[in-house]
Amino acid sequence: MRNRLMILTIALVAVLVFSLVIVAQNRGGRGAGANAAPPARDTRPFSPQDIAGIWSRNSQGYGGGGTCRECGDRGFGNNVPPFTPLGQKMFDANKPSYGRALGTDDAKAHPEEHIGRRRAVPPANGTDLYQTCNPQGVTRALIYPDPVEFIVLPDRIIQNFEWTYSWRTIWTDGRQLPKEVDQTRWWGYSTAHWEGDTLVVDSIGHDDRTWIDHFGYPHSDEMHLQERYRRVSYDTLELNMWIEDPKVYAGRWNAEVKRFKLLPKDRVKTPEGWTGLLEDLCAPVEDIEQFNKNIRDPAGGVFHK
Amino acid sequence: MKSVVKNRTLAMAAAAVGILVLAVPIFAHHGTNISYDRSQAWTSKAVVTEFRYVNPHPQLFFDVTDAKGTVTHWGAELLPNPAQLINNGWSKKRSMEALMPGTVITVTIAPSKAGGTVGLLVKAVNDKGEELVPSGGGPGGPAPAPAP
Repeated sequence: MRNRLMILTIALVAVLVFSLVIVAQNRGGRGAGANAAPPARDTRPFSPQDIAGIWSRNSQGYGGGGTCRECGDRGFGNNVPPFTPLGQKMFDANKPSYGRALGTDDAKAHPEEHIGRRRAVPPANGTDLYQTCNPQGVTRALIYPDPVEFIVLPDRIIQNFEWTYSWRTIWTDGRQLPKEVDQTRWWGYSTAHWEGDTLVVDSIGHDDRTWIDHFGYPHSDEMHLQERYRRVSYDTLELNMWIEDPKVYAGRWNAEVKRFKLLPKDRVKTPEGWTGLLEDLCAPVEDIEQFNKNIRDPAGGVFHK
Repeated sequence: MKSVVKNRTLAMAAAAVGILVLAVPIFAHHGTNISYDRSQAWTSKAVVTEFRYVNPHPQLFFDVTDAKGTVTHWGAELLPNPAQLINNGWSKKRSMEALMPGTVITVTIAPSKAGGTVGLLVKAVNDKGEELVPSGGGPGGPAPAPAP
């Protein structure tokens, strides 16, 4: 009798855990998913145009692969527009290591997911610049569930991304985006203005070596990204965004909504109590090479002498 | 006989739960679910030769001696990166001291699907039974998921 109860309990736990895993997989992340019932709304007063502070999509502040409840997953969106011929070529050339493993039963069992989410290969066989700690680019960095600090100055907003400790400048001094870009940038060229309580950020001139998200969706140097930030409660910042990139996609790609949670300034701190974003750099390059040579590459069947 | 069957069923159910529970934290890890085979995880005594507390992922290098006395050198990456270890209460100093060269520990390793002597460190336990450099359960928030 006791054994039967134990089996029943274990089975129940297994079903619950398995459900969580399935949800996490479908969402491309580890969180409970954007469709989960939202937590109680933070009713503290706030100024809708005050977006300064440390925001994080995983709410605990120390980075990682998961996202917090209702924050959206780690993909830009499953509603991928058709590729242009060039776009298809670029997409095929990108070999990501996130998502369901290429060619597996698991990948085949989810035709509802765009193929970009079902073609992961070991990093050793991949083409992700990120695995050698290069800049992620704007969309991917925004989606990445590490904290990002918004520093608001009179003429610009700085986004300081904890992972790689990288700064992006968004100009609010009224300037126009360049008509032509001589040299693309890892973080693009960005301007912003307020439309009511929505901060609208337009950017162009993004380096085409970065990916839209970790599933390896490409973009060209002609991508136009628009981000629309709205602080919907004291602790929640909502981000809607889209890209237009006629070289790569046949139409506008609207992202699934992403949300950030406000972290208290002292939430992230070192063991000795030094608060503020960690200097979470992936450096020096020798450390990365050593890791790839001794662990990551052999794990993918690429052995070095 | 009946109790053997029952025990076997229980063991299988427990193993299934174990695999599922362990599977949760790895989905978002860069390539982990692709490169390593958790269904082939093994546990053994090991002697630490080096521990690297670095980005993008800390690594543990160690020797395993089999019944015939043959020593095999292994390398394993950790699920959490240093930021997540900090969140879990494992500072650089604490981690390096716990995993000094020569320390005897018990490791559970998910080996590479490609073979060789590399893997994913699923668990490391010292001779007092304390889990070292764990991947989850930090203060003030949900268990952190692994970084890239």
